[in-house]
Amino acid sequence: MKLRAGTCRSPRFTRRRFWWAAIASSVALVAVGVTFTARGEGGEPRYFAITHARVVPVAGPPIENGTVVVAKGLIQAVGASVTIPPEAWVIDGKGLTVYPGLIDAGTTVGISDDGTDGKGKPAGVVLGPEGRPGTSPWRVVADEIKTDDKRIETWRSAGFTTTLTVPEGGILPGQAAVLNLAGDRAGDYVVRVYASVPISFKPVGGFFGFPDSLMGTIAYVRQVYDDTAWYSQAEPAYESNPAKYERPSYDRTEVVMSEAEKRSEIVMLPANNSQQLLRALKLANEWKIRAVLYGGQQAYEVADALASAKMPVLVNLKWPERGKDADPEGEQTLRELRFRDRAPGTPAALVKAGVKFGFYSGGLSGPKDIMKSAKKAIDAGLSPDAALRAFTADSADILGLGDRMGSIVPGKIANLVVTDGDIFNEKTKVKHVFVDGRWFEIHEEETPPDKGGDKKPGDEEAVKAGRYAGVEGVGR
Amino acid sequence: MNRTPIIQRFCVALLGCVLLSTASLGQNAKPAAYAIKGGKVFTLAGAPIENGTVVIRDGKIAAVGANIEIPAGAQVIDATGLEVYPGMFDAATQIGLGEISQVSATLDVTELGNYNPELVAATAVNPASAYIPVTRASGITEVIAAPGTAGFDAQGGGLITGQASAFNLAGWTMEDMQLNRSVAMVINWPSIQTRTFDFATFSIKEKAYSDAKKEYDKSVNELSDWLNRARHYAQAKEKGSPALYERDLKLESLVPVVQGKLPVLVIADDERDIRNAVEFCTKQNLKMILGSGAEAWKVKDLLKEKKIPIILGPTERIPDKEDTPYDKPMTQPSELFAAGIPFAFSSFGTSFSRRLPQYAGASVAYGLPHDEALKAVMLNAAQIFGLGDQLGTLEAGKLGNVIVTNGDPLEIQTQVKYLFIKGQLTSLANRHSDFYEQYRKRPKPTQ
Repeated sequence: MKLRAGTCRSPRFTRRRFWWAAIASSVALVAVGVTFTARGEGGEPRYFAITHARVVPVAGPPIENGTVVVAKGLIQAVGASVTIPPEAWVIDGKGLTVYPGLIDAGTTVGISDDGTDGKGKPAGVVLGPEGRPGTSPWRVVADEIKTDDKRIETWRSAGFTTTLTVPEGGILPGQAAVLNLAGDRAGDYVVRVYASVPISFKPVGGFFGFPDSLMGTIAYVRQVYDDTAWYSQAEPAYESNPAKYERPSYDRTEVVMSEAEKRSEIVMLPANNSQQLLRALKLANEWKIRAVLYGGQQAYEVADALASAKMPVLVNLKWPERGKDADPEGEQTLRELRFRDRAPGTPAALVKAGVKFGFYSGGLSGPKDIMKSAKKAIDAGLSPDAALRAFTADSADILGLGDRMGSIVPGKIANLVVTDGDIFNEKTKVKHVFVDGRWFEIHEEETPPDKGGDKKPGDEEAVKAGRYAGVEGVGR
Repeated sequence: MNRTPIIQRFCVALLGCVLLSTASLGQNAKPAAYAIKGGKVFTLAGAPIENGTVVIRDGKIAAVGANIEIPAGAQVIDATGLEVYPGMFDAATQIGLGEISQVSATLDVTELGNYNPELVAATAVNPASAYIPVTRASGITEVIAAPGTAGFDAQGGGLITGQASAFNLAGWTMEDMQLNRSVAMVINWPSIQTRTFDFATFSIKEKAYSDAKKEYDKSVNELSDWLNRARHYAQAKEKGSPALYERDLKLESLVPVVQGKLPVLVIADDERDIRNAVEFCTKQNLKMILGSGAEAWKVKDLLKEKKIPIILGPTERIPDKEDTPYDKPMTQPSELFAAGIPFAFSSFGTSFSRRLPQYAGASVAYGLPHDEALKAVMLNAAQIFGLGDQLGTLEAGKLGNVIVTNGDPLEIQTQVKYLFIKGQLTSLANRHSDFYEQYRKRPKPTQ
């Protein structure tokens, strides 16, 4: 597969001129930057009609020979017989299929490639919960967007219009944002600023600091929730009667966490194997949080428990597998082999049990691998319809954005991906992508001769992608 | 009522004091003649002798049989109802090299650096170690101390960790105790480790196989270089040009190894490591003894073909690998026996050397013939390390290392009643029995 370059169309940037740029392949990336400035100069089309296409709205049955009308960032109309407004830029969708834009519900795309932005390590040695180790929930991804992250284009060109971009580094590293992968300025990307509070149970203390164990880490998070609950009561009590109470001391973590709680912001709890999943159910209950579990790869063992708790799961698509440079004679335990074999069957098991789930790229290196992993889940019994829902409507629902994205319905955000075939077919190519009603025509680019065979410039960036691994405790 | 005469009680107390004061070293008299009479004698060199006699004189076994004349002046030990065996031999320990693992000043198990062939365990063994009488009390009369083997203390002990020494578990100085100061050169076989423990994050880190393999190859090449240099050194010395060739203790120590005179005790557990070690030793013409050998059962044919004996690690433990059958450490000895591979049991430890008989006993419960298990704690190690003419059976001319028990020595409830080392009746008092006596004296609470 070759690199796909996406270019925002504008009348000023004619097709002929585009091709000229595309042939000079390395210049294509620069072209993206050029065209993004176009909006400021006016004239970027905001009205489109994709005609004669197969439309898979997800919210309903597919429409053969249908039309989708996009107007000013939103879907205006969809159906078999839709009036095409005169101002619309018409795209002939003959032989093409229109899907809702795909959502990657857990990645670092759009921020620094390791998600930490250099943060996350406790300053000095922390000896107890009062030192707030690895805790920076006030860090807001929406304020850290790097529009020059080349992965944005890589993801978008493969049909991923939306990400849940998650900060990393620490136990409470910050707040994740939902981003649409296009815009002139960072602020254009943001769909929801306070999308979720991700939690990691990975000890941050090292050998000498707190916490240096799983037990300590969970105890610490429990402490944060207790402190937050106290602050949520103490602060209004004090304000209502400052003469009666001593002033509660200010703690940024408590303030930010209580605000998140008031918004009933989603809390992402790590849980990959069955023990962790059951533990997370207990903790979500105990901490009274609106929880979503991430990881979920061994959910095939505990799908019923998740269903009866009505717990949504974000499934990490980086299925467990043998390391690329693993010891050829190294021990492979039955437990590991079984997990590797069965993990891709998790989505099918979740469907069967009635658990709502979304997909995320986790540690995968790029969209190509994301789709390959999804195909593995389909091969393991997941229906393609359900797979598509997991990438679209169900992820949107889990993120609380089902009212504005995830399906092709009038009034929803015009995030669309137009392909020349079934989206889970490896040979299928993405032809057009719409993000917030912005049109990107996707062209396959010739491999630059000087780069050689397998190495593709985009992949080098992609390798760093999705370091939001969420793979705590894979296996054991 | 206790009607024991005062004087007798006094004598008992005095004897107790003597025993206590000599507890650690065990012996304080000149060797005398003894006759162990009336017991069932397991010579390990033939069928057991009912109502047999063992005569010990001048440190050695003088006679063994059913109708032996008791020499005049010999102290007679009535072993009626008891059993007589050769003393047990723990073939790999750190006894005398390490005392308290939390106190580094008491530890002399390992040395810095990867190649220390010149180190000799005997020079570091502490004859007053509290472990010696403790170990002795369970019927172990001699051990080998191997530097840098196993245990947490041995981390970073290098590849060639030094020379193992065999010694008796009684004596005031190493010179008294020593059986052979150099029985083997210990090599910790390098393993291809892709899983390493990262102390910074206190977690297990995965390393690329290619990197781990590179490190392994480097180690093996270094080992090979050392041996080649030792060969060259031996040649230069032989041709007699000491003036031109400076003395090198490390290379000098390796000379008997490359000449095949001194065996190498190669510590390896994984199947691949064992295979690689055997291949290496074959290529280098070394006399190999496999140490630990958790997965020796996977390479029985090779070990049999190359005639490589094994010093087995503890049987009472869980297997190293998750999918290995739970009882493999205990069934392996019977498998090795069936395959005709000689082996001896050992503790690879200090404080748990005393468990040696149970290590053998557990393997009897899992299929090893009982008489073979006895050999594997009494005789085999002596034969493997070239001490078979001195130790391991009750035969005239051998060293007087003898135990008298009230039953099967592999049973945990069996007690050692008398113990002889180098032909001397040796104290069985030890730190455990001292504490037992001490706390028995504690006044009982009044009701």
